[in-house]
Amino acid sequence: MLITQLKNREAIDALISGTCFIVNCHGCGEVSFPAAEAQALQAELASQGKVTGILTTDYICSPENMKVNLESRRSEIDEADMVLVFSCGVGVQTVAGYLEDKKVCAGCDTYRLPGFQGVTPLEYDCEQCGECFLNLTGGICPITACSKSLVNGQCGGAKNGKCEVDPEMDCGWERIYRRLEQLGRLDLLKRPVQLHNYATDDEVYKQNN
Amino acid sequence: MKVTELFRKGEFVVTAEVGPPKGCHLEGVVEEAKEYLSGLSAVNVTDCQSSVMRVGSLATCKVLKDAGLNPIYQLTCRDRNRIALQSDLLSAAAFGIDNVLCLTGDHTKLGDTPQAKPVFDLDSVSLLSTIKTLESGYDIAGNELVGDPPTFAKGAVVSPCSDSVDAQLSKMERKVMAGAEFFQTQAVYDTERFISFMEKAKQFDRPVQLGIVLLKSAGMASYMNKSVAGIHVPPDMIAELKADKEKTKAGITGVEIAARIIRECKPYVQGVHIMAMGWESKIPMLMELAGL
Amino acid sequence: MEDYTKYKLKAPDELAEVLAGSDNYFVIACNKCFKEFVSTEETDCEEFLKIAEEQGKTVIGSVQTDFLCNKIQTEKKLKDLIPEGTENIIVLSCGLGVQTIADITGKPTAAACNTLNYRGQHGMALTEKACDACAQCYLNLTGGICPIVDCSKSLLNGQCGGAKNGKCEVDPNRDCAWEKIYQRLSKQGRLQEFEAQPVQFRDYSKIDHKAISDYVKAIRDARLDGYYGGVHPQERKELAENAPLLKFPEPETVVISLSQHSGRPAEPVVQVGDTVKVGQVIGTANGYISSPVHSSVSGTVIAIEPRLHPVSGTESMAVVIRSDGQDTLDESVKPHGSLNDLSPEDIYNIVRDSGIVGMGGATFPTAVKLKPGKPVDTVLLNGCECEPLLTADHKVLLTYADDIIFGLQVLLKAVDAEKGIIVIEDNKPDAIELMQEKTAELENIEVAAVRTKYPQGAEKMLIKRVLDRQVPSGGLPADVGAVVCNISTAKAVSDAVVMGMPLIERVVSVTGERIQNPGNYIVKIGTSVKDIIDYCGGITTDDAVVKIGGPMMGLVQTDLDVPVLKGANGIIAVDPEVSYENPCIKCGRCVDVCPMELSPLYYAKYAPLEDWEGMREKNVMDCIECRSCEYICSSRIPLLKYIRAGKTAIRGMK
Repeated sequence: MLITQLKNREAIDALISGTCFIVNCHGCGEVSFPAAEAQALQAELASQGKVTGILTTDYICSPENMKVNLESRRSEIDEADMVLVFSCGVGVQTVAGYLEDKKVCAGCDTYRLPGFQGVTPLEYDCEQCGECFLNLTGGICPITACSKSLVNGQCGGAKNGKCEVDPEMDCGWERIYRRLEQLGRLDLLKRPVQLHNYATDDEVYKQNN
Repeated sequence: MKVTELFRKGEFVVTAEVGPPKGCHLEGVVEEAKEYLSGLSAVNVTDCQSSVMRVGSLATCKVLKDAGLNPIYQLTCRDRNRIALQSDLLSAAAFGIDNVLCLTGDHTKLGDTPQAKPVFDLDSVSLLSTIKTLESGYDIAGNELVGDPPTFAKGAVVSPCSDSVDAQLSKMERKVMAGAEFFQTQAVYDTERFISFMEKAKQFDRPVQLGIVLLKSAGMASYMNKSVAGIHVPPDMIAELKADKEKTKAGITGVEIAARIIRECKPYVQGVHIMAMGWESKIPMLMELAGL
Repeated sequence: MEDYTKYKLKAPDELAEVLAGSDNYFVIACNKCFKEFVSTEETDCEEFLKIAEEQGKTVIGSVQTDFLCNKIQTEKKLKDLIPEGTENIIVLSCGLGVQTIADITGKPTAAACNTLNYRGQHGMALTEKACDACAQCYLNLTGGICPIVDCSKSLLNGQCGGAKNGKCEVDPNRDCAWEKIYQRLSKQGRLQEFEAQPVQFRDYSKIDHKAISDYVKAIRDARLDGYYGGVHPQERKELAENAPLLKFPEPETVVISLSQHSGRPAEPVVQVGDTVKVGQVIGTANGYISSPVHSSVSGTVIAIEPRLHPVSGTESMAVVIRSDGQDTLDESVKPHGSLNDLSPEDIYNIVRDSGIVGMGGATFPTAVKLKPGKPVDTVLLNGCECEPLLTADHKVLLTYADDIIFGLQVLLKAVDAEKGIIVIEDNKPDAIELMQEKTAELENIEVAAVRTKYPQGAEKMLIKRVLDRQVPSGGLPADVGAVVCNISTAKAVSDAVVMGMPLIERVVSVTGERIQNPGNYIVKIGTSVKDIIDYCGGITTDDAVVKIGGPMMGLVQTDLDVPVLKGANGIIAVDPEVSYENPCIKCGRCVDVCPMELSPLYYAKYAPLEDWEGMREKNVMDCIECRSCEYICSSRIPLLKYIRAGKTAIRGMK
């Protein structure tokens, strides 16, 4: 569900002070990990004598799994001035939380991938907005299918049925309109004005705590 | 002066727009408006048009009002959440600005600061509805406003020549439901398409101002056809612009075309809204040719 | 463990609104995901049905299933399931499931649930750490604590004035993220480094939706290319790819197991003290599914005794021969003449008597495949070598192209098929080019280049990919008119016909990050694995894991004193895998990758309960043991162990 991209070279160079121990997480590798670029970069760092060890594993977001992996390389980690993690943001936080006294840095930036069943990227997306609008839109999500996440209909930016932000992306509200037309449910567009509630995350947070 | 009053009186409402500058000096805008636009019913002030950062629409409205013009405050949902939008509406009312045109706004990515967070907390429909709520003496969280509530002439836009005209009509209907009292349209070149749109829009019983953008060149027309949503310049019009380059360059062809469009559509609309884009000086000539 | 259930049934009054004005429902409920897999029962569907009944609504039918958003599987499951008279579809799932169903059915679809709004994205494992995927990781500035997710204002430049007692102004139970960041940085002595950072601005244009959507398309395309599922492990073939194919030195002794194949072991026909020659039969086939074995050296039988077998892991009978180093050929080794003069029956006999078995690893006696009992139109030669690391088949393709093509002609004649297709993955462009060149003039043979994906070389996947035919559950390739052989097998068939040489040697790649000098060798059957590894400079570290076969399906060897068998395409030494087994969290990845479209998560659930009937119902017998599920499992569950236990138990039940 998360994809990673290597930070640019200057940014990574700026992070490294002294020697580092490198962790690569290939857990979501079936989706995306810049393996070849990371490998080339790490080989170069190693040739400069900046690397005490490289651990390539998977699912470091699982604290138990991360722990057994890090402990298997403890001496190399202790020897290094910092730990450089090539994973999504969850992985970096898990390692940083475990090695609390160590400088832990991220070598990657993380992007979201549509869908969250497994790590299979889906053609559908759900932002988990907490107040499903699909019943009003014929099952096409206005939050993710519209680049402005509009909930009251098409904006004036659509051209040839495409979005103003990306001429290759279908206008979400154009799709919704067509779907409702096909279902004979254009009456749904006459519903009262919709307001997006941005406080639904707090509801979940409070419920779980 | 609320433009809705003018419509009610049966006036043919002619408005034009001015774009605030990227800087804090408003004298130029005021002078230009006084020179070319003072004969009009009202003047729209754009809100960081095309997502390009500029001085505020509200401040510009205020100085135009002070200079004796009747401003229409354009307000987009791109840069403000519902707190800021309501607050700015109250500010406008405090300044006596009583015309608001509600827009969703272009996406931030289209402008000169694509890094900015696109807000879109509300959209044009919910913004109209929010104004209606303010007018009832409450904010949208249900809290009571102190003193007399503000009142506005609530305007909205529509794209009659959009390639998704039915989706636009459905949105227009939602805007009416949410409180829109008048409409200004995206630029119209295809009068036949426009007239058939107006036949359908008649049911909403709201005054509509025909949108006019002066054509400066054939290149501009082709560019708009390719890139600007809701705009379709017919090929014969482009040929007309190409035919006499000197005349086109001098602005005469563009003004002639616009005047023709206005004359053809006038029976179907309650006003005209002119987006001159720097050719404000041509507006008097246009008015004359169009017989306004 | 956190519970990231994605949705919650709407409250009855909300549902009343959803149901108002519609009726005659078919209800589709998604079993929840991303929470510990405790029970296969979910109660929301019943709850909904009760509410619908209270509202006086008619429910025509309902179904509960897993992973609705898995469109391909959901589409198959729903086929013919939605009854006549259904007017509306009600979906109990997150927004993804609703959108999938709305799209698939084209009927009015309503969501009976609200998707829950968690702050940030959780990882695969279910912990409280989350990531907002902002595309501009700030963790480097903040000691590894995320300011975007953990700070309620997502501030980037330090604490706001709202924190009280280290808690957030939004919720006094929530820690102030910037308080935590400050503490951590101060502990690490990095406050100065933080102060020296330039002012941070968040760049909202970094998330390039277009790039992401293009990427999603590419990934889906790769995943669904040719057949459902499969994985793309790192290939690492460069380790041995460029090493030349060399003849391995004559072994002093060979240990030739009488179990070189699937089926019954061969019967020994030599005795201790006998002199044997290269190609001489030393064990005969013992039944229809069995295969003879031959001596790979000339010399003396010094023992016939149980020896450790690398596949079974137990001892089984083997003939031990000391080589005289002469390589004297047995008199039986002689050419069989022109292919034109051989009948299918002749070919069957030659292949059977030459002890040829599937050399891709499955070691099924090839002769049996040549009597399919059904009309066959196509013979597929598998030159995919989809296992990472291995380069043996690649070398065989490059070195023995003519033999492979001749072998294919022999196989085509044996089963009377019109067409032969040599299938090669696109990571071997030189082999594809060579084969295309060599077959250009041949009308009945073509080369298919396919995009790499594991387990492409599995019979059923290969048939689906190349011929777009689906071998039925429990069926064989011949059921859809195909026979599949490995290219090394075809080469062995060619040797058997042209030279009369039985299967006594094979190409083995010796590779892996922990092998000193990776290489590719022509090795006599029965050569010691230990000798081969030693010859390649040995293993670089003590903790290396040695497998026979590839990293995916290869078998771990703890004792290297085992012989090379006919199915041994690789000997690899790789890094040990360190992992911790967690409970299944229903992440659905195993379902995504299973090329047989099974639901492996249930095997991990049912096997410990010895619910073999449950496993059978979930079609465990269709599993091809490619290990893709175990490879991808986010909880590191040894799924294959459970699958094999289930299969064994079910076979016992029959």
